[in-house]
Amino acid sequence: MHSDDFESRLAPLWRSAQSGDEAAYRAALALMATRLRSWLRRRMSSWPDELEDLVQETLLALHLQRGTHDAAVPVSAWMFAIARHKLIDLWRRRGRHAELHTSLDDLDEDQLPGRDDSAAPARRDLLLLLESLPTAQRDAIVLTKVEGLSVAEAAERTGASISALKVQVHRGLKKLADLIRSDAA
Amino acid sequence: MNTDQLISMLASQAGAAPRAVVARRLGPALALGGLLSVLLVLSTLGAYSGSLLGTPAVWMKLAYAGALAAAAVALTARLARPVARLAIPLRALVGVLAVMAALGAGAWAAAPVESREALLMGRTWSSCPWIVLGVSLPTLAALLWALRGLAPTRPALAGAAAGLSAGAVGALAYALHCPELSPTFVAVWYSAGIAMAGGLGAVLGPRLLRW
Repeated sequence: MHSDDFESRLAPLWRSAQSGDEAAYRAALALMATRLRSWLRRRMSSWPDELEDLVQETLLALHLQRGTHDAAVPVSAWMFAIARHKLIDLWRRRGRHAELHTSLDDLDEDQLPGRDDSAAPARRDLLLLLESLPTAQRDAIVLTKVEGLSVAEAAERTGASISALKVQVHRGLKKLADLIRSDAA
Repeated sequence: MNTDQLISMLASQAGAAPRAVVARRLGPALALGGLLSVLLVLSTLGAYSGSLLGTPAVWMKLAYAGALAAAAVALTARLARPVARLAIPLRALVGVLAVMAALGAGAWAAAPVESREALLMGRTWSSCPWIVLGVSLPTLAALLWALRGLAPTRPALAGAAAGLSAGAVGALAYALHCPELSPTFVAVWYSAGIAMAGGLGAVLGPRLLRW
């Protein structure tokens, strides 16, 4: 997609979204997600597993910072500036953590996981995993995903703002996914 | 959660975008930081004697620091958003510095040679920039905290702008105590303190402005 074409499709949707049109906001975010995915894919070939995570991180940042879009600036330029910021942030975190990885060959056998298997299935129990999340994230997930409340109802129940609850659900689910992945590994 | 679900969740009942987010965060931070900076000067150094309030030199210092603070805060507010448009606040900042430099140079050039050193160094040149820097710290902390909740995508520059703003606020507060009267002194040593605060902000920005 040519970038001017992207801007001309996004701009009217974004304008309506900024003034409160929910359907337009949904369409704008979907359009942005598609563009972000292809933009980020070219820039993070070393971590293909993290592509969708970063697309979601960026969408969340776009949502939380929608008030910082200056109407005099093209919305696509604003979006890419935030995407670039999130990408640099990922590079920096990866750069710092890369040296913390230990090769399996450097470990003694009794340091390796899997010797006492009895604990393994229990740890994969969703409720036990949920217990390890911060309270706010756990409540947000239980209310919206287990009890099936809408985000607005859950926000009312917990007393958090709708916007804060969305962030809790996203962060909590991401952390759960990480826990399950590290548990399986 | 897949991305489509995330989008649904984000969009549902999202309402209109919040307005004036930058002013609503920077405003209280600036007010709180400025108040702390003033209290810091008044409680540790004390105000100058009342008679100085009538002298033009004090108003010159207040006007310089105030105008610089206004320009630097405008710059900070622009840098709090992705894709910052900097031309206007940058021009204002350079303009204020140029006017003060001209005033300082003019006073220096007009003075007889033997009094020039006193005009430039005053009695407090060695402490003035450090006090301005120290007094600016509460404002710098408050502004950096406010910026963390916004979206600065050029953290070093945003930190520098926050530092210049804090330095100018610090200079404004220090002017309530400072006994110096020479525009040359102000143009050099006040500006040095403000520049140090800007440098500190530029160093802290990339470390603290993560969001």
